[in-house]
Amino acid sequence: MKVPLIIVGVIVAAALLVPPLLPWGYDVIDWNAVRAEPLTGTHLLGTDNVGRDLLARTLVGTRVTLGVALAAALVSLVIGVAWGAIAGWVGGKTDELMMRIVDALYALPFMFVVILLMVVFGRSILLVFIGIGAVEWLTMARVVRGQVLQLKQRPFIIAAEAAGAPARAIMTGHLLPNVAGVAIAYLLLTVPQVVMVESFLSFLGLGVQEPMTSLGILVKEGADDMDIAPFALLLPGGILVTLLVCLTLAGEKLRDRFAQ
Amino acid sequence: MIALILRRLGTAIPTLFVVILLSFLLMRLAPGGPFDGERPLDPATRAALTNAYGLDLPLHEQFFRYIGNLMQGDFGPSLVYRDFTVTDLVAKGLPISLMLGGLALILALALGIALGLWAAVRAGGSVDRSISMVTTILTALPSFVTAPLLVLLFGLTLGWLPVSGWNEGAPLNLILPVIALALPVAGAVAKLTRAGLATALSEDHVRTARARGLSPARVLLHHALRPALVPVASYIGPAAAGLLTGAVVIETVFALPGLGRYFVQGALNRDYPLVLGVVTLYAALIILFNLFADLIYGWLDPRVRQ
Repeated sequence: MKVPLIIVGVIVAAALLVPPLLPWGYDVIDWNAVRAEPLTGTHLLGTDNVGRDLLARTLVGTRVTLGVALAAALVSLVIGVAWGAIAGWVGGKTDELMMRIVDALYALPFMFVVILLMVVFGRSILLVFIGIGAVEWLTMARVVRGQVLQLKQRPFIIAAEAAGAPARAIMTGHLLPNVAGVAIAYLLLTVPQVVMVESFLSFLGLGVQEPMTSLGILVKEGADDMDIAPFALLLPGGILVTLLVCLTLAGEKLRDRFAQ
Repeated sequence: MIALILRRLGTAIPTLFVVILLSFLLMRLAPGGPFDGERPLDPATRAALTNAYGLDLPLHEQFFRYIGNLMQGDFGPSLVYRDFTVTDLVAKGLPISLMLGGLALILALALGIALGLWAAVRAGGSVDRSISMVTTILTALPSFVTAPLLVLLFGLTLGWLPVSGWNEGAPLNLILPVIALALPVAGAVAKLTRAGLATALSEDHVRTARARGLSPARVLLHHALRPALVPVASYIGPAAAGLLTGAVVIETVFALPGLGRYFVQGALNRDYPLVLGVVTLYAALIILFNLFADLIYGWLDPRVRQ
């Protein structure tokens, strides 16, 4: 688990710290160096088809992609934990209804629903992550509910109830701290999911909009141009794949650790 | 069995109804109407158009009209593809998308079950660990990255396969799109098969079969594989959703005239009837696939039939 997280850490640090140090901004056009090869002149990793610095664009794109992913994952964490905890704690008919809704939503083509939201409310970064967060909370809700159902039977919770602790105190003082570990593991697994959705939308032109960039847009631009300059596809594609694989591996390890 | 189907339909139909209702309301909430152009329309023309499309009716009447039209297979006119109705576009594009998805599903099942079997036979060894790594990478790789990479390798560098295009469904043109679409699903199927076999191989009936002296291959394929495939069967619903979603990207990358490509164009140009129609249709298809998965599930594991 350590190695993947270190790789993610290095990419995040580079995306946050390196762009201000580069001689070129991510949206500055250098007319003298259109489609420059890597390691020529002041462009360390070359330029794209209109002469924008590829390294700067990739790092800023990584920042945008990860930022959107983190925000959306947090939205899904809040909705999922609240939904699951309430369903599991209240139980009975409420639980059944709430989990039926989750089952029904699971059956939906959620990517199409997100696209529908984009079409209706226009394309903006804010909407991208609210939309994604609003459809990615289902697994979290199921897992948290399962945890709460188990915890409810444990002596310390029964003792707290018998001692007359109010429901809210039991929820915040006893239940949520014990759910936190699993919730963090699933949060880690949600991030690559969201990265995938965001890049998917941006790839199709439905997510983040120019001149802002994201890994999905960069992969799209690279793919359009790959017969001339394959490096413009390989660099953002490589970063995206590395992030997805490392986050998934780390999340799965963490989940298995909590799943005994 | 029939009771199972009826029970599933009992949840599927209300779900579908809610999807249609929500998408319908979302479309009506959207800012801007279909007749808002750069030049304002003459009020009389505008009134006539609004009346012709039934947009002056109360909202609930519009909704029931829409449902009524849907039942007759009428999704309304497309706003981007002026000369076509949405139904025309569905009739043209859906067969192509379904063919792509169907071939990819077959490939994904074959490849995934084979990898899962191989890993389970070598459980705990280095082959098992490598396969587990490979399947994780496969599931984490988005098809919009693998597709261009495959094109770069096999289309541009080696020149073995066509880079893109439909070419009336020529088999050579289908190879790369189907592979790119199938890989993530194959990874997930392999993981499920491996996990299912691990459970099945430790069950009593498998131990009995071994004790009776049956060959390891027969125990594995005949006694362990069938129960191990139960989780795979229940994954067919989500897999269908994944393939339909993936097809949107694959059709865009390979310039295939499937429904996914019309959908993206519709979404980029705010073609409400087209987007609404495709979302409804895909929701129905996925619900149908989930039902189908339940049937296979019941066939593989007789205990669920009760």
